[in-house]
Amino acid sequence: MTRITPELIFEKGYDGMKNNFVPKMDVEEVDLNAILPPEFQREDIDLPNIPEFTIVRHFVNLSEKNHSLDRSIYPLGSCTMKYNPRINEVTARLPGFAQIHPLQEENDGAMELIYNLGEQLREICGMDAFTMNPAAGAHGELTGILIFKKYFESKGLKKDKIIVPDSAHGTNPASSVMAGYSIIELKSNEFGEIPLDQLEFAMQGGDVAGLMLTNPNTVGIFDRNITKITEIVHKYGGLCYYDGANLNPIMGVSRPGEMGFDIIHLNLHKTFATPHGGGGPGAGPVGVKEELIPYLPCPQIVKGTQGLACIEQSDTSLGRVRSFWGNFGVLVKAYTYIKALGAEGIKRAANMSVVNANYLRSQLQDIYDIPYNANGRFNMHEFVMDCHLPNGVNAEDVAKSLLDRDLYAPTIYFPLVLHEPMMVEPTETESQRDLDKLITALREIYELAKINPEQLKFAPHKTPVGRLDNTYAARKPVLKK
Amino acid sequence: MDYVPHDDTEVSKMLAAIGVNSIDELYQDIPKNLLIDRLNLDAGLSEPDLLKEITELSQKNTVYSSSFLGAGSYYHYIPSLVDFVISRSQFYSAYTPYQAEASQGFLQAIFEYQSAISRLTELDVTNASMYDGASALAEAATLTTFHTRKNKVILIEGIHPEYIDTVKTYCWGRSIEVEIIPLDQLEHKITPDIAGVCFQSPNFFGEIENAEEIVNLVKNVNSKTLVVQCMTDPTCLGVLTPPGKTGVDVFVAEGQSFGLPTSFGGPSLGIFAVRKKYMRKMPGRLIGLTKEINGEREGFVLTLQAREQHIRREKALSNICSNQSLCMLATLVYLVSMGKTGLKEIANQNFQKTHYLKQKIAQIPGYKVLGEKSTYNEFVVKCPNFAKLASSCKKHGILPPLELTKYFPERENEALICVTEQNTKAQLDEFLTLAKEAAL
Amino acid sequence: MDNPTDLKYLATHEWVRIDTDVATVGVTDHAQDQLGEIVFAELPDVGDSFSQGDDMCNIESSKAVGEVHAPVSGEVIEVNETLEDEPEKINSEPYTGGYLLKIKMSNPNEVDSLLDAAAYQATLG
Repeated sequence: MTRITPELIFEKGYDGMKNNFVPKMDVEEVDLNAILPPEFQREDIDLPNIPEFTIVRHFVNLSEKNHSLDRSIYPLGSCTMKYNPRINEVTARLPGFAQIHPLQEENDGAMELIYNLGEQLREICGMDAFTMNPAAGAHGELTGILIFKKYFESKGLKKDKIIVPDSAHGTNPASSVMAGYSIIELKSNEFGEIPLDQLEFAMQGGDVAGLMLTNPNTVGIFDRNITKITEIVHKYGGLCYYDGANLNPIMGVSRPGEMGFDIIHLNLHKTFATPHGGGGPGAGPVGVKEELIPYLPCPQIVKGTQGLACIEQSDTSLGRVRSFWGNFGVLVKAYTYIKALGAEGIKRAANMSVVNANYLRSQLQDIYDIPYNANGRFNMHEFVMDCHLPNGVNAEDVAKSLLDRDLYAPTIYFPLVLHEPMMVEPTETESQRDLDKLITALREIYELAKINPEQLKFAPHKTPVGRLDNTYAARKPVLKK
Repeated sequence: MDYVPHDDTEVSKMLAAIGVNSIDELYQDIPKNLLIDRLNLDAGLSEPDLLKEITELSQKNTVYSSSFLGAGSYYHYIPSLVDFVISRSQFYSAYTPYQAEASQGFLQAIFEYQSAISRLTELDVTNASMYDGASALAEAATLTTFHTRKNKVILIEGIHPEYIDTVKTYCWGRSIEVEIIPLDQLEHKITPDIAGVCFQSPNFFGEIENAEEIVNLVKNVNSKTLVVQCMTDPTCLGVLTPPGKTGVDVFVAEGQSFGLPTSFGGPSLGIFAVRKKYMRKMPGRLIGLTKEINGEREGFVLTLQAREQHIRREKALSNICSNQSLCMLATLVYLVSMGKTGLKEIANQNFQKTHYLKQKIAQIPGYKVLGEKSTYNEFVVKCPNFAKLASSCKKHGILPPLELTKYFPERENEALICVTEQNTKAQLDEFLTLAKEAAL
Repeated sequence: MDNPTDLKYLATHEWVRIDTDVATVGVTDHAQDQLGEIVFAELPDVGDSFSQGDDMCNIESSKAVGEVHAPVSGEVIEVNETLEDEPEKINSEPYTGGYLLKIKMSNPNEVDSLLDAAAYQATLG
């Protein structure tokens, strides 16, 4: 049989045409060879010239093959796919933000925005200072763990291990290793919570720099022992790192700083409504308590006696983690969002993310196995189902079958503390009607598993392509054409 | 304005379905002493009030009508269709394409980006992008140590100072030794125990280095040592010999010049391309072509994921997951909009217009162009009075060049001047006039 | 698939075939089954040396990575290059064509510490 190959943009060009995107050459042109030795010059570029309209059609057609949040619910657990308000796109594109150069001196508005956003996040998180440098959550984690490293180095203490729970996102251990730490993995208990005795045992080793934790945790449960946990870590001289992936349900309700966390990173593209853009750009600000401020990366914007000032370098700082200031355009969007919501709006958003998650759970738990919620406990923003459906239908089958119903699938196969996990996070911006569509679909899929499992196992059927072969892709990688 | 759709009636119905009387009950796991009453933040704003307030804030920044500032962030023309494409909901409100069958649009776009960069650089494998040029260089430097199992990296002077600082930070994290040397010492400093040598060309001062010569110097001592080339403005690739041809192993660049606004330095993207033998050590997402399990249609998926943190956890060589996808899409649209002809013309114009200004300013008494090498769209000029030139530029709505004291305190009155295709002859001549006046 | 009785095993799911001072190493049927469809074997270079128990190389499926430990100390004298194009042999012929590499043993006494087929089977429960 013949393969049906997608038509790539490179096949749509004409050698003899060009577009109108180059300004007039209005200086007298010299022979290029006179200013650049010929051996430094390339021959041809293997890229076509493509008419503008053809390009527009190509990308509009591609976009039609892509599911997105603006089409229907996108309930990816731990990803907080909430509505991205359009006003944020407008403010980020204001000439006074989009057109300014990172090294220009007349930048009072930008400095003020960065500083004020830091102040807002301080208030929300209960921390003492923020850096806006990190470009993403994982970048924030690396920055945070390097702060650990700098802190202990400056104290002359050798601590080379970090504790993470087994349900932690893979970035936690990966970031720790990038800062030279090795990992102690703690097995979480039946509620997904940290077992205090094991934590204390691990800390007693004396070589542990600290703990990385999300709270609420990956299974959507708020750890009731949180202050005991941070006390134990502090008792042995360790630091507590808060992975802000799951901040959404508690913003305006409770502060990580007051739980005893020393460092926090946030994902502005999750909690603060900046678009995910198919995988970035995000922003991963890092907040710290007073004692850790000296170790923050540079540049840092601080309030001095004469207004805002910038610390370009300092002996105690861990250094730079990227060029310039951070993903400024993303910061503008998050700042706009926080200003729009205000104190009440932030709390209401958090509240409704919790109501939505628990409502979804309440309408599914009679048929789906939802562990970690024994004894009438409630979830925060998300919950995890173990998808063992009748006739061997698994989490992947359920996910693909949701795609056929024009809904995006929740996160699957994470956290791997279960065999067939499906992690559902609806966020606050879905109405009951939209949640009911997901509920109806999931219940229908469950019933179908009993009578027609084959249909589910070969799903999806209505997407632009059927179920794709990951093994084939990895065995003979074709990464370009 | 909280973007929450429910009204009170709906909330009551949902609470009843859950089996609670109030939202507070749902928070029963949070210890009482950790609950807060109200954040000390302003009340929310309506959209018109919000737009007014934020517009006013933006106006505290100066927007210039022309610029001679580059140094890692550049004013190139952005075709109108770029922002149109990246503003489409289907792209901008999607997540990382985990569910491939419902994400073919973005996956294909990433595959096309990987292909476009590989065509432009003539290197085998390009990832789906890094955060920026600096962090891309830092990850490239660490990659050289994974591949060679050596623990020392050499950086050649002339790399953007902020990139050098970033590399130092990442290498400190992994206890990798870093040495910074001038290019003319490479021959003496290169030993077989070096994991990688990183250089920038065109370098921070706009000068084009002889990449082939650097590669030969390094490989003659140890053929396994990796050579990493970095760029802050890859539009020069419209004319310059691509890294794939000069023998470079890893190429990284700041991608902002390809279709993204300066935006105070971010967001943009880090371009990362390697020869095939380093494919499995490279950080970041990769998209591959595959086929249906039960059909004949081809499609795209995230692949070689076993390299990544979500599978390999503490054994992963990088923690990166989200990249800068939407910026990557802008870059793809930019590259195909320009096409090979446009890319050549843009690069040529940057050379030509820069050359024009360089020649003319050298003729003004008191100004001296520093350096002998060919330059792309930046060069260094010793000025008689930089402060005067800068302030008169600003008075005329012109963003002045960078004074090198920003990064090299001893280099007073040395201006790093940047000229792109966006600078008209009239703007160049106006700048020359101001330069002449500033010399008096 | 039964575990061949002429081989020795590690509890971490490697097998070894001893031929005087050369040890041929692979992963067990159980290991390949747990990993799923193998897409890549990241093998060491010929000439690399390992001590018993060292993390020697990795095999990858599209969803997981398995570490392979050195069952004995010594120097790698051969790697199975056919796996570069056909990693699936680890799935289909784990004890024959899907072997990973050969080690010239530096301490043949280490063989005594390895499990026989029955003892290995017992670890699988």
